[in-house]
Amino acid sequence: MKVKGFLKDVGGASRVTKRRQAAFDNASSVPNAADPIGAVAKALHPGFIDLKLIEIKSASKTAKTFVFEAPHLPYFKAGQFLTLVLQIGDSLVTRPYSISSAPYQTRGEHPTVEITVRKPKENGFVANYLYDNAKVGDTFKGEVGLGEFHYEPLRDARHVVALAGGSGITPFLSMAREIRHGKLDMFLTILFGSVSEDDIILRDELEACVCDKVRVVHVLSGDNPSWKGEKGFLSAELIKKYSSEDTTYFVCGPQVMYDFLAKELEKLRIPRRRIRFEVFGQARDITKFDGYPVEKKDEVYKLTVCMGIDEKEIPAKANEPIAVALERAGLKIHTACRSGACGFCRLKVLSGEFFVCPANDGRRHADIDFNYVHACSTYPLSDLKVRVNID
Amino acid sequence: MSDKSKCFKKSYDVIVVGGALAGLASALTLAKKGHDVLVLEQHNLPGGVATSFVRGGVEIEGTLHEMMSIGPKEYPLKIRNFFDEMGVDIDWLRVPDAYRFVDDVSGVNVLIHPGTHGDMEIPAKEIADAVGDPDGKVYEKVLRLLNLCHTVYQSVNTLSVTHMSKAQMLLKHPEFVKTAGYSAKEVIDTFDLPQKAIDILCAYWIYVGNVIETLPFTIFAFLLGDYLGYGSYVPRKFSFEMPLKMAERATEMGVQIEYGQRVSKILVKNGHVEGVRLESGEEIASRYVVCSAYPNKAYTEMVEPQSEVPEGAIKFVNAKTLGLTCFSVVMLLDKDPAELNIKDYSTFYAPNGMDQKKIFEEIATPGPYNYITSICTNLANPEASPKGTCIYSITTLPRPEGWFGVTEENYEEMKKKNAEHFIDLESKRLGVNLRDHILELVIEAPPTISHYTGAFQGSVYGYMHTMDDHIVARLQMGEKENYIQGLSFAGAHQISGDGMGPAVTNGRKGAKIILDMMEEDKKEGK
Repeated sequence: MKVKGFLKDVGGASRVTKRRQAAFDNASSVPNAADPIGAVAKALHPGFIDLKLIEIKSASKTAKTFVFEAPHLPYFKAGQFLTLVLQIGDSLVTRPYSISSAPYQTRGEHPTVEITVRKPKENGFVANYLYDNAKVGDTFKGEVGLGEFHYEPLRDARHVVALAGGSGITPFLSMAREIRHGKLDMFLTILFGSVSEDDIILRDELEACVCDKVRVVHVLSGDNPSWKGEKGFLSAELIKKYSSEDTTYFVCGPQVMYDFLAKELEKLRIPRRRIRFEVFGQARDITKFDGYPVEKKDEVYKLTVCMGIDEKEIPAKANEPIAVALERAGLKIHTACRSGACGFCRLKVLSGEFFVCPANDGRRHADIDFNYVHACSTYPLSDLKVRVNID
Repeated sequence: MSDKSKCFKKSYDVIVVGGALAGLASALTLAKKGHDVLVLEQHNLPGGVATSFVRGGVEIEGTLHEMMSIGPKEYPLKIRNFFDEMGVDIDWLRVPDAYRFVDDVSGVNVLIHPGTHGDMEIPAKEIADAVGDPDGKVYEKVLRLLNLCHTVYQSVNTLSVTHMSKAQMLLKHPEFVKTAGYSAKEVIDTFDLPQKAIDILCAYWIYVGNVIETLPFTIFAFLLGDYLGYGSYVPRKFSFEMPLKMAERATEMGVQIEYGQRVSKILVKNGHVEGVRLESGEEIASRYVVCSAYPNKAYTEMVEPQSEVPEGAIKFVNAKTLGLTCFSVVMLLDKDPAELNIKDYSTFYAPNGMDQKKIFEEIATPGPYNYITSICTNLANPEASPKGTCIYSITTLPRPEGWFGVTEENYEEMKKKNAEHFIDLESKRLGVNLRDHILELVIEAPPTISHYTGAFQGSVYGYMHTMDDHIVARLQMGEKENYIQGLSFAGAHQISGDGMGPAVTNGRKGAKIILDMMEEDKKEGK
């Protein structure tokens, strides 16, 4: 074709129109809704499903394992958590629990998923309920396979040292089981801090995973004269002893352990990209954080909740996150991580003052500009008006 | 528990299904005309793929490479103008370069900069110099081609808002009319350019989802006229700044936006929309629905009853080729860009050469892919992440069918294989092992897109621009393609196709169709 040739051609527009019409005329008139990519997405992220409690096992003197079954369970990643929705009295609460079973157990004819929960020492409102009231045969709504605390081969070192305390062992048991089953290719050394031998949870289950790729080291902090193994805390020295040249550290346990380990790991001059902390949930005591006005901690404010064009008024304590106030009032709010990270419980503050827990602030920059907050990590400091999603 | 019926009004003038860029552009347009609008978004925030995520306390851009049709403040283009007219104040940052193009086979490695007001001398010079131009002839030809692109670009912008007769069109927009019947390749070939120059000019082809052999020249021209003529932009607070500010503005204008609401059915009776049903069972009345879900989904699943879907609608969908989906590795790296040898905002990299046909075949497989685009957000926005870190993404745009074999069990492996290949390719190109610098890593694959947006087959590109579904033909025939009265579409599947700039145009189109239908209904006394 010559330049001049096409520059003289003025019929192009009608030609392409005819072509397009012909394509329509020749097309099939049979509806085709096939979407294999969508089907996999749905299988991996089914949202809330019914989880039937089929077994309650003892995991130690102070912990129980709850085994749930469902016709289909998503193939989650070892280290992730599930949430359970529980109706407790007038409250409708959602809580995250790290999954202690392995992803491979979601396959086969009887897909199961397990969580291990420690008997709370004090006011573990939800854990207590689960511990004392849940019985085999009960069905709960839940979401399986959430969170970012999992091994990522392109990011992490091949050798992972897991630093676990208490029920923080659960995500690592999931990883160990998946490795032992040949489904996860990594080396895992678990340094598991407990007070005494009695206190060790899931001990047999962990033992069953030990192989050339999985090592389990119990570290006891209490006075245990007969104990031959490692003693004390998860100190820098101990961590170094079990590390290799290139190691990624995964940390999961109670908040006090995080503060301690952050300092110990700093001593070892480990690059930031090699340390990963699991989110630790709602701050135990918000008044301890810089910037929280302690004088307001016992106030109870009026929380006006807008849902669409409807409005409700409920009380909200200054020392509890908005999410808890909503749950106490029996209002359903979609939460998952309870640590300000996942953003499921994002809502807009229309008016009033609030405090966001600095340790759990996962807001987007643009959201901050427009007073969108995550309800699980935001505390009212005055009467407040918020807009939430219609449940 | 709330009583849902108390949360919604009995009825709305228009319901917009989907609160991404297109849906929100529809909502703004309709609200500005005084209509009572409800937006229902399935996710818990607006934006669809125009989003970011926070990992390890750092916000990371999820998808945006660059916005087209913004233009400098002094030379505003149509998307900037739309935002301004609507009172949506986006903090635009200019992207410093157009792109670097690297082809390991031909040895081309060149950085191209855009003009500012449709001036094409800078990119023409850079392209000519890169391929060798002793007598200035390549420059002259490239400039002529780019100027043609710009002229066609301006015509498309004018004609998409103005109706004129064919004679008038020929008089005022001769270049547009005369190139309309040809593919990009056919037109480019008439310029007799060296292959290397063509390859550099065609770096963007994957952004429009089709090879130049079957891509309408009009689309090619639109892209180059816009990107190379004016440069591109990004919002300071990531792509999410756009939908959030649009949603806030819409709310101010009286639009009700509800998140976490999945629409499962569009209710139709006697050929006219009557409302929608939410997944929860709640029904909400409206005579008009703007739908962001693909027509493929609407016509085969959502319209109730299915007997209300005319055969023409099914043929319309079946005649089209679904556009590209996305595979992206998004990383937060633990050094400033300069320390990692990252110098350019945007790079197109063809390690095995720019053989478009081969690449096009390859993107119809599960991978690994060998035509990639990498973006370093910090080079347009130095404060995008904390000092001593940078946001780096590597992307290709596969065709959905390449991922039809994905299962729950092989998904992680498929993702890993491709992501690893991408990181290795870029590490080699940069001379820095990126694996030693990854603070956070997120892999977005077609199922991720599907999960996040519900897009049919994870496609983000709507329908492919081809010679059989030519943009000029789309513009001419579009009016007759509304198969159900009261229902229009807003998304990449609307006339303008893929991209976040076109998403806004597509949303306005969806609104315009509804406004026209309202007029018709009024005339007919419905």
